[in-house]
Amino acid sequence: MLFYFYLANNGKLYLTPLKEKGQEEGQVLLPGLPLSYAQYVLQEVQTRKNGLSKLLSQRLFKPPLVGSEESKREELKREILKILRKTPELAKLNWQWQCGGQPLERGKDDCLSREEKQELALRQKPDCQGLREDFRQRIEGRLLAGADLKRLAGEWGLSFEEVIRCCQEVADQGEAEWLVAVKKEQGTWQCQRCGETQLEEWTSIYGAAATCPSCKALGALSSLNVIYRSLGTHSLKKQKEAVREKPAKTGIQESLSQKRQELPPQGSRELLFQGFQELFPQRDVELAPRWELSQAQKQAAQEVLAFVREDRAIPEGVLLWAACGAGKTEVCFPAIASALAQGKKVLFAAPRQDVVRDVAPRIQEDFQGLKSIVLTGSSPERFCQGPFVIATTHQILRFYQAFDLIFLDEMDAFPYHGNKALAWGLKQALKPRGKLVYLTATPSPESLAAVQEGRLKLIRLPARHHRKPLPVPEWRQVPQGFDPQHVGGKEKNQLSKDVFPLVAILAQSGPVLMFVPKISWVIPWVDLLQCHFPQWQIAGSYSSDPQRQEKIENLRRGKFRVFVSTSILERGVTIPNAQVLVLEADHEVFDERALVQMAGRVGRTKENPTGIVFYLSRNKTSSIKRAIAWIKEQNLLSKEQGLID
Amino acid sequence: MALKDSPVWPVWQEFKKLAHSLLYESKSACLLCETLVVDDRVFCRECESIYFYPELERCRGCGKIGASQGICKDCADGKGPAELSKVVAWGHYTGAWREFIQGVKFKAQPYLLKRISKPLGDFAIKHLPPPNFLVPVPMYPERLAQRGFNQAELIASLLHWELGIPLWDKLERIHFTTPQVGLGRKERLKNLESAFRINASLQSVKLIKGSKVWLVDDVLTTGATLEHCAKELKKVGVAEVYGLVLAAGMEKGN
Repeated sequence: MLFYFYLANNGKLYLTPLKEKGQEEGQVLLPGLPLSYAQYVLQEVQTRKNGLSKLLSQRLFKPPLVGSEESKREELKREILKILRKTPELAKLNWQWQCGGQPLERGKDDCLSREEKQELALRQKPDCQGLREDFRQRIEGRLLAGADLKRLAGEWGLSFEEVIRCCQEVADQGEAEWLVAVKKEQGTWQCQRCGETQLEEWTSIYGAAATCPSCKALGALSSLNVIYRSLGTHSLKKQKEAVREKPAKTGIQESLSQKRQELPPQGSRELLFQGFQELFPQRDVELAPRWELSQAQKQAAQEVLAFVREDRAIPEGVLLWAACGAGKTEVCFPAIASALAQGKKVLFAAPRQDVVRDVAPRIQEDFQGLKSIVLTGSSPERFCQGPFVIATTHQILRFYQAFDLIFLDEMDAFPYHGNKALAWGLKQALKPRGKLVYLTATPSPESLAAVQEGRLKLIRLPARHHRKPLPVPEWRQVPQGFDPQHVGGKEKNQLSKDVFPLVAILAQSGPVLMFVPKISWVIPWVDLLQCHFPQWQIAGSYSSDPQRQEKIENLRRGKFRVFVSTSILERGVTIPNAQVLVLEADHEVFDERALVQMAGRVGRTKENPTGIVFYLSRNKTSSIKRAIAWIKEQNLLSKEQGLID
Repeated sequence: MALKDSPVWPVWQEFKKLAHSLLYESKSACLLCETLVVDDRVFCRECESIYFYPELERCRGCGKIGASQGICKDCADGKGPAELSKVVAWGHYTGAWREFIQGVKFKAQPYLLKRISKPLGDFAIKHLPPPNFLVPVPMYPERLAQRGFNQAELIASLLHWELGIPLWDKLERIHFTTPQVGLGRKERLKNLESAFRINASLQSVKLIKGSKVWLVDDVLTTGATLEHCAKELKKVGVAEVYGLVLAAGMEKGN
């Protein structure tokens, strides 16, 4: 996107992405510049020693003024040209000041290009006010690159120019701003969208430039690009007004009050929402869940709710540490309802598309009538407005001070864990006094350290809803290892002695999930097992397997006795009555979190609350020890709190 | 603090790299896929065969890959560019090669081009007679202002460094043309009429008079752009114009 110097006849010098400035007549410098370079030129003009600095008085928050005499304006114009023509690369661009103002009305219809005609037609559109209002709502809390604005234009059925005009109007009113997308400060480039500081530098016609390699999946950004950032003051005003006028207006409140009449009150819900009514005496807020919280969930939900309602923003967030399969997502619902009822904006972010696709319908079901927005890399619509967003973690980078409350699911899972860009994005997307809830079954050492230091408050959810303890994994030593390449003769006998009998025992209880550390082991192990158990249905899969979805679907339906897989089945999957066997559990890809997650596939349902987990390896690594200790500790805690029988 | 965040980490990584390079032959990823390639190779064998067809002939009229007897059907019918002595396209504008070129142009990644200079130089010198000058196809000022670089100029300057041939960059684009994408053959030719001009001192013009030049661009579809540029160059007395592009279409039937 280009920016233009627009020197109005009244002496004001504007820097704008449009070639005109409302009704003000003046001259525009073509062909335009990237914002970063235009800012540099402006700085140069102001620091020149030829008296022009005095001419060009910089007024706070207002365009610089050169004075209305023509001679002064001419001098300024010449000065800017001089700076631009200094570099030979730029001199080639044929700079000239042209009459600005209302360029489109100038020409006859048939001289105009297709785009210009479109634009002219749009300007004559009657409902301009409605358009602007709609625009404001769509961009609220967003941080958008040029490509996003183009997409917004497409989604909205407007020309790109018209969208830019809307952007500029909102920016003129101080409710949004244009930022250089990649900035150099104190010798270091930094991407303003993802915070990356390791950038690819190259030479442009304007001199050194840099492109951010980290967030290019969202559309590439360089130092010649801009991002448009909503400052949200408008919405704040609107919100206050709305509260003063009509207290209950959000979709959720309407729908929830309807729901209340349909559903008989349940004990668990009443307990949960005690105190809720006190907080909003006039309001009619109620969550209409299709489930009943277990005692463990109830306790955790109360704590999350209390944190969300607390006025202080200390500590900076909570860590909800839940046992695998304990229903941590549902534990957040009361807090979500509470925040939405207060008119707050809420984001539920999960690291992977399949988790978003799994969670979105569950939330939708319990908050019927609530307009929640689902954003993933493949969402068809991206710019609708609503109080509640469910998104993949990457999408966080497209928001700025947009949310009062953010839930971050599976924070230790790829790609959030250790990813600085998303940590930066999270801080950006949260409003100044906003709150963060991290959900995890297997907290990272960093987050546990944050708990120790008091930066995160810890909430535990140690028990599953069926009130049975978590199955504790059992470690067995298998001295010869499991590499299928080396299996033959003696090793094969050993396998028949060590592994196959265990598989046979597990398979009596239910389908066996066999985890291996490498993709290349999957198919050989399927073959080995098939040889030994010729009568069984056995299959395997891995991340790049084209039939992955289909096979997992069949696994869910109970079609396989044994299923060999890599970590793809590690989280977020419920296979009825699954039993787990981990081969080479001492491999470095299996850290304690992976081991806990794999064990967490067992005993997840009310129908099959128990099961068996085996870790097999040469050595009992510290990860194996810790994983077993974590699970035991959770069971102990549940017992103490009376959450399991 | 995690090891990866410590200040020693990058130093350690560099050290590992150095030790590695002393002990093993250097390996890097193919420019277009993840496959590791040895030493100074840029493309893996598979990418080379599916995008560059080193064994296939190019149409001498428009550079298209896979023209039997050195000329494609369009050019044999007299629809091809007439002002150029010969045109060659290095690769097929499809798949990962197309994505690469678009990544350079539209995703602000001109630095990606660096690695191609040697294989491109080798290809060009094999297929075209040595020129006196390299002339990049110019870009319209507004688009150049926006992108910050002209990819044709970058390719030409890579060849300049690789082969030691001087650059001549006095060709200009003056008319704003609607992008060629989506236009038919005739529309393309019309779209470009008088879009180019020479803006050079008498001395520069004298320099190029009677010379052979390579006209360099990124992608060729119908050859209309090259044709119009060649026409302008011929007007000031350039003797022969050869076209060189990174990518073009394939002749049907390959």
